[in-house]
Amino acid sequence: MQRLAVLKGSGVLRRLGRPRRTRPLLAGSASRAPVRIVSWTLASIVEAGLTLGIATMLCGLAGLGDDNADAITFTLVGALCAALAAAARRRVAPPHRPTPGRVFAGIGLLWTVLVLFGAALYAATGAVDRLDDALVESAAGFTTTSLTLLDAAEASRAVLLFRSATSWVGGLTAILIAVVTLPTVLRSTALIGYSTGRRGLDLVPNAAVGTRRVLVLYSGFTAACVAAYLLTGLGVTDALVVGLGTASTGGFTGRADSLAGYGTATQAVAAAGMLVAGAGIFVVWWLARGRLRPLWRSQELRAFALLLAAAAAVMAAHRGIGWGEAGFMAVSMMSTTGFAVSDWTAWAPSATVVMLVAAGIGTMMGSPGGGIKVMRARLLMGAAGGELRRQLDSYAVVLVRRDGETLSRRTLDRLGGHQIAYVVVVGAGALLLGVSGLSLAGSVWGSVSAVSTVGPAVGEIGAFGRLDNLDWAGRLALVPLMMGGRMSIPPLMAGVGLVLRWYRTGLRRSRFAARRSILKIKERDG
Amino acid sequence: MARDASRALVASTTLHVIGIALSAVSVGMAACALLELLTSGRDAAALAASAGLTAAVGGLLWRLTRPGAIRKRHIFSTVAWTWVSITALGALPFILAGTFAVGGADITEQFVNSLFESASGFSASGSTVLADFESPGRGLMMYRQLTHWYGGMGVVVLAVAVLPFLGVGGLELISAEAPGPASDRLTPRVSETARRLWVVYIGFTAAAALAFFAADGFSSLYDAVAHAFTVAATGGFSPHADSIGHYDSVAVETVAIVFMVMGGVSFSLHWRAVAERTLPYHRNSEFRTYLLTLGAAAAVIVVLLWLENGLSLGSSIRAGVFTVASLGSSTGLSNATGPGSPGDYVMWVAGAQLVLLLLMVVGGCTGSTSGGIKVMRMRVLARIMVRSVQHSQKPRAVIPIRVGRDIVSESLVSRVAGFFLLHFMLVLGGTLVVTALGGDFVSALGAVVSALGNMGPALNEAGPTSNYAVAFTEPARLVLALLMVIGRLEIFPVLLAVMSHLHRGKALTRAVRR
Repeated sequence: MQRLAVLKGSGVLRRLGRPRRTRPLLAGSASRAPVRIVSWTLASIVEAGLTLGIATMLCGLAGLGDDNADAITFTLVGALCAALAAAARRRVAPPHRPTPGRVFAGIGLLWTVLVLFGAALYAATGAVDRLDDALVESAAGFTTTSLTLLDAAEASRAVLLFRSATSWVGGLTAILIAVVTLPTVLRSTALIGYSTGRRGLDLVPNAAVGTRRVLVLYSGFTAACVAAYLLTGLGVTDALVVGLGTASTGGFTGRADSLAGYGTATQAVAAAGMLVAGAGIFVVWWLARGRLRPLWRSQELRAFALLLAAAAAVMAAHRGIGWGEAGFMAVSMMSTTGFAVSDWTAWAPSATVVMLVAAGIGTMMGSPGGGIKVMRARLLMGAAGGELRRQLDSYAVVLVRRDGETLSRRTLDRLGGHQIAYVVVVGAGALLLGVSGLSLAGSVWGSVSAVSTVGPAVGEIGAFGRLDNLDWAGRLALVPLMMGGRMSIPPLMAGVGLVLRWYRTGLRRSRFAARRSILKIKERDG
Repeated sequence: MARDASRALVASTTLHVIGIALSAVSVGMAACALLELLTSGRDAAALAASAGLTAAVGGLLWRLTRPGAIRKRHIFSTVAWTWVSITALGALPFILAGTFAVGGADITEQFVNSLFESASGFSASGSTVLADFESPGRGLMMYRQLTHWYGGMGVVVLAVAVLPFLGVGGLELISAEAPGPASDRLTPRVSETARRLWVVYIGFTAAAALAFFAADGFSSLYDAVAHAFTVAATGGFSPHADSIGHYDSVAVETVAIVFMVMGGVSFSLHWRAVAERTLPYHRNSEFRTYLLTLGAAAAVIVVLLWLENGLSLGSSIRAGVFTVASLGSSTGLSNATGPGSPGDYVMWVAGAQLVLLLLMVVGGCTGSTSGGIKVMRMRVLARIMVRSVQHSQKPRAVIPIRVGRDIVSESLVSRVAGFFLLHFMLVLGGTLVVTALGGDFVSALGAVVSALGNMGPALNEAGPTSNYAVAFTEPARLVLALLMVIGRLEIFPVLLAVMSHLHRGKALTRAVRR
């Protein structure tokens, strides 16, 4: 009785009795109309649909005067999508505390819907002839992978802008999921890599504020990139296309040879932009606030800089590769952007292996780029070193720390699981590509590049990320790899797990129903 | 004082084990010298001199040292140094016989090639730099096969078998050398366990020799014994340039397939089969997974060869099944009759080659003579991955990892994860170094995976009908030789030996500073 009184006093019982509370995904999305559907997946799709609709409409408007048919299609579809999303936003809200499994499955579904939307638009405008090719183009865009089938010289302005916009929306979605959604929605259950630690509390005190800040920072950074490109003499369309591709680590440009045909100033701006984009939203936040101390103290940033410098130095040590070229390609690969200033696939094999490793490691946490992530790679190295020490002394207490915080064994286990899954996905991807007709080097490179959301690869794909040399099977094989890499694998695995659980539950229910009906029949027959 | 005495004892145990191992190798050299004398006699002097020198060094170390209690950190250096010693002195017959003094090779190249061949032999890898298979005498070629046999079960296991006084340290020595995350203790006495393992190993080799002899129409006992050494150790060397393809015989290939696959199975299981007169294989979940993996890989490859490579169904089955058995058990024998023949897997479609690459990574069962990560570890890794998914849905759930019916301890789980990480890093680092030293990406990746998994032939220029001297530069070959030894000892011992020495060096520097 005493305990019950305490609970009553603290308001626990009152809260338990309340109806389910909902929380907005984006700032200002608190709806005054009665919420009818409470679904994390639907709410996230609606929010992404609104952003994507507006972006598509803007691309269409910007394309007017070039190819009006394309421009009008984009404008109308974008407007319709934005209107539908705005209307749905009043009726759909996310649950207060969704289960981790459903969040992960929702993330998977969100990316699928985005990719299907893009594919439908590409097919509708006729920018890409075949539906499967449209799917590949759209997946490459939203997953910020610099792979394309479009002929930039023939594509209309609206299409080129839309392609870059897809990577911009994809980049934004990836950052929001990693920095805002997973740490705040899952709270204590956040996975390593999503748990942004102490840095997260600073940038994301809560979902609404965090979302607003990320949106402002990401848009501001994109605007700065576009402005810098304009200053180097690029036209408005080019500056927009390359700027969106830089900020999102998408890597699309308005030409078939990536940045090779652009001037040195443009390439320098691209390198600086990729560096910041690869460093992630936290670094942009610290820079915007003029806070140099966290910049200096960040172990991940130091490791990122060290790895970049090492990769550039090793590449530059090769004959025929200049420091500028080596530095540019090191940043391009580590930020998983995929810009190229020359045909680097012809470089010495060891230089390309450095690039492969750089692409595999990828960016810092909170970046729109892919890869294992620098922090994870660092922690994995620490865990491996710790295991070596434990071999010498079974009773040794080996601690693995991240920015001063000691990680639990369970966290390290999950980290190990993630890395194993990464290798499995890369291996399976290489196998798929190999079976679909790519060469051995092309399969391995293509798989690592797609899972890390880079794009260009040694072999059939080439330095400029062209998919013309791949047949339909090879192109389609890249779609799950890009999606898996974009979702950072655990959501993909959790999604698969959830589907399996649903399947098992369904199977159990159907068996139960069958047994019950048999019993009924037996009872009826006496 | 006590500390100093303990150090002296440790040092003597290490040297003692090295002494026994070298003495055992010298016996093999002497036997091959005798065989050489009975046949062509070309390389008899080289073999005899090598046997004498190795026996002298080994005997001195054995007699002048005495073993004692061994500390854990020195177990790894004992095993690592034993392997370095036998690899170095095991190269003597090739150096003295001038096996690689062909085509204007200078002394450095000869030395590097001899060391590579020795490392490849003792680590039961089967990668070769030998181009001329006709010039060396039969004794020397048999010695080459014998290096596999010694390395297959492990010379340290052999040393423990004759060291009844090592006790617990003995089991840890075996664990440090034996393939797999944990070693089986067949009897309470470690030395007895080691002896039984060697007995079943000898029996297995004899059975393989008889089967090869019968399959080849009782034509060459020499060839039969040579190939028996290879399949028992899952090595890969053959006295013929075109390996098993030399016979172009389904019967010989079938015998090879059976013994290669069984060579990749735990020798403890073989012992139980013999001792209990039952077949314990089907009750072992690792064995079932191993067979399932091989079966699935063979099925995929056969279909790919049939549909994509345009081979007939019969040729696809013959080439596919043999190669899968060979690389899946980490043996490395080939049934290619020449470049471009069905068995020459570098001509296969990329998908089929990638399946082979994955098999090279997986390897055979725990406690077998095969290399690779091992089926048991792969199962634990798969469970770790699944558990991380389950934890994402039920974050507070306590989910033990099971292999078969047994729950795997968390310390073993961490060890397996650590092993995988180190393996992965070594593959990346090795590929980078080998490409930097001259080698294309696919050849380098294949060779590094092959070296770490003790496979033998690799991909591209280092394929089954080529050799490593063509594909890689001398420094790259040395790196690959080192990787073979690291792979044979399953990474930890070599790295820990280096760490231990670094630690000792640091401690010494600190003491000097003080």
